Amino acid sequence: MIHFVTDWIERFRGQGEHAITIPVFDGALKPNRLLEDAETLADLPAPEDLATDGKTLFAADGHRVLQWDGSTFIERHRFDGVVTALCCLPDGGLAIAIDGRRVRVIGGSYAGAEWTSAAGRSFLSVNAISARGSAELLITEGSTNQPYENWCHDLMGRGSTGRLIQLDLSSRGSKELERNLQYAFGCIAAGDNVWVSETWKHRVVGVQSSAEGRVIVDWLPAYPCRMSRASDGGYWLSALAGRTQLVEFVLREHAYRKRMMKEIDPAYWIAPALNSGDDFLEPLQSAHVKMRGVLKPYAPPRSYGLVIRLDPAGLPVASFHSRLDGKNHGVVAAVELGNKLFVLAKGRRRILRMDVGAR
Amino acid sequence: MANILEMQNATKTYAGVPAFQDVTFSLEKGEVHAIVGENGAGKSTLTKVMAGVVTLNAGKMLLDGQEINPKTPDEARKLGIAMVFQENSLVPTMTAAQNLFLGQERGFNRIRRINIEAQQFFQSLQFDVEPVTVTSLLGAAKKQMVEIARAVKNNAKIIIFDEPTATLTPEEKLHFFVLIGHLKARGVTIIFISHALEEALQISDRITVLRDGKLILTDLTKNFDRRRIVQAMVGRDLSQTIYGQRKSNFRPSGRRVLEIRNLRMGGQVRSCSLSIFAGQVTGIFGLVGAGRTETFKIASGVMKRDFRRGGDILLDKKPVRYLVPAPAIQDGIAYITEDRKLEGFFETKSISENIYLGLLAKLRGKRKITSRKEADEVGQYWAKRLNIRTINTDVRAVELSGGNQQKAVIAKSLVQDPEIIIFDEPTRGVDVGAIEEIHKLINVLADEGKPVVVISSYLPEVMSLSDRILVFRQGKVVEEFSGEEATEEKIMYSAIH
Repeated sequence: MIHFVTDWIERFRGQGEHAITIPVFDGALKPNRLLEDAETLADLPAPEDLATDGKTLFAADGHRVLQWDGSTFIERHRFDGVVTALCCLPDGGLAIAIDGRRVRVIGGSYAGAEWTSAAGRSFLSVNAISARGSAELLITEGSTNQPYENWCHDLMGRGSTGRLIQLDLSSRGSKELERNLQYAFGCIAAGDNVWVSETWKHRVVGVQSSAEGRVIVDWLPAYPCRMSRASDGGYWLSALAGRTQLVEFVLREHAYRKRMMKEIDPAYWIAPALNSGDDFLEPLQSAHVKMRGVLKPYAPPRSYGLVIRLDPAGLPVASFHSRLDGKNHGVVAAVELGNKLFVLAKGRRRILRMDVGAR
Repeated sequence: MANILEMQNATKTYAGVPAFQDVTFSLEKGEVHAIVGENGAGKSTLTKVMAGVVTLNAGKMLLDGQEINPKTPDEARKLGIAMVFQENSLVPTMTAAQNLFLGQERGFNRIRRINIEAQQFFQSLQFDVEPVTVTSLLGAAKKQMVEIARAVKNNAKIIIFDEPTATLTPEEKLHFFVLIGHLKARGVTIIFISHALEEALQISDRITVLRDGKLILTDLTKNFDRRRIVQAMVGRDLSQTIYGQRKSNFRPSGRRVLEIRNLRMGGQVRSCSLSIFAGQVTGIFGLVGAGRTETFKIASGVMKRDFRRGGDILLDKKPVRYLVPAPAIQDGIAYITEDRKLEGFFETKSISENIYLGLLAKLRGKRKITSRKEADEVGQYWAKRLNIRTINTDVRAVELSGGNQQKAVIAKSLVQDPEIIIFDEPTRGVDVGAIEEIHKLINVLADEGKPVVVISSYLPEVMSLSDRILVFRQGKVVEEFSGEEATEEKIMYSAIH
């Protein structure tokens, strides 16, 4: 009842949820061109994820797992489905998710271990894997209703069925750590805690924290996804797209949103995307984005490239951007190896390399 | 050139403490004479003697060779000496026209005649002031224009300007300098007190430097450069510019302490969004009317945002909305005003009482009985810590020099142990020595991990202090610069275009 009254007042006054405000890229998130100007390491047909064991870089590319040999990517494994997540294990093995429906370990002392469900529910969209210690895996499943490739359907359908699951490598058991997340996409063990990206809520939460300390970083101006460890004790947080007021508005206009999903090709929805600018039918190609044919870098982005560096407490301390006038958009993974940061710009199907201390 | 005014061995004391001592000073007819010095050096008092506001204790003053001793400003005005005060002395409830004619009213006044004459007079000076506007509704720059117009109108032989440009925009300053040129051409002698040394070097013919109530030096302006003036003023070698060198080590952003989302207030603040982070100085730059002050006044409860779609303010991630300053103070927001005389302190109360009032504001409702002893202790502690130069802390705030008043206002806020400190024009009307001390204090606060906001119209100040700079234009932030990438050109370009 109180929520209803508060909601009504906020609707009247244009406050809170009804203000349709989005955060600005400021402070450590101030835009730059570092991601756009980064060196292109490789263009791949269908890259999905990156992983490293501290010595070698691995990339999931369609049905394959590739390894960087210093000059080119060579195929290490091939599977019968799309590799949707990848993780290096401390014992030398690899954990992979295939089609978002199976999690399998290859190599190492737990080779052959496989999971297809947890807490009585089959996997549908496993999108990130992270190792915790030597005998546990943490995985996120974005949605239990939409397959991996339909992430945008989950957003526009206002899905909240994401899960964080712990897999025990020794016993082959599984445990659901968190459910009903608004798209879980990326997780990492942070001390005794586990951080998970709740993408549609634009935040990272610590699932084993007290209620007060639960939110690690929130009110992000982008959709956060996978995380990896940085050498200074902090973390790298990828963001698959930037937020816009138009999308936020559409998300609140339920009738419009439902009709759009029913009648319009998903490629042309007013929704975040991993890339943009390739098709004139796309929304947001009007005067607000272009001026005399030139893209305004500060215009509302349909797609965006962003990697955020978090300190050990989760505070953003630096960021790397590819703005609207750039191409390296749709960043879904970033890993640090040596003194370099490797970034997967899925929107451009490209792997980038840059200096860790670039900013 | 003949001297129009001379002071011989002039001394003025307050309660036995000399404001200036044994000063021998001469003013040549038709010159622009700049008087510079630190706050408390005795500049204002010296000119107040000339203008009849106070009288000498010893020595004598000669006008055209005749000894004079004006006891009231009216007497001085009749002798041809007018003063435009540092803090404006207009009657806020009267219109600009009424203020212009104040003291010269006829037996029967026709408002229409006054308005027409005022309009003509403002137009002759090329001042864009509406004569029928009530003065309290005028901005600082326009109030200053009325003050100047009033002095010019009195056909004074000598006009004394005390910090005339402190509240003017760069364009208005240029206009003011042209006006000075016109007055000089008409044979008016001008005394010009300013802390902006560039202005003194630009428009004056001679410069006099005062320090600690003594006349240190008088010389032709062409024989001065900034370093020589500063050395004479403070008796020590400051850095090349009064605002210090451009810093090279910038503090990183800490946690987000204050967040403003789509804030709106009438036409002054328009969908303004920004964040303030702990452990760094965020400089706020913008031209007058860009909405900088209003934004932070809303955040600190001094002003109110629009009722509908007015935006959100989050303090440590919690939404807050202050209708008055008291709850903001209790939540740890300290806003140090740009207009210290009007909003900063009670001028008839002592320094201790003013600072103690700051503490009581923080402890609202928790302190049933106030303690005189505690007030004295608090006052003495902060006077010592901020180096407020005064005989004792029982001195009324109005009797302090501008820099020391500013320090008292800062102490009044710092005594609250705030979580976030917003300095609005922290060094306006403050001398170079005090500027250095205030800047040092701002840096110490940021080093302690506090989020510090510095709103300033003076670009070198923003550049020397800030780890991060936000530029305001037309009611919102239009650009953010990190310390490394900021240049004066870039900032000014953002503020104008």
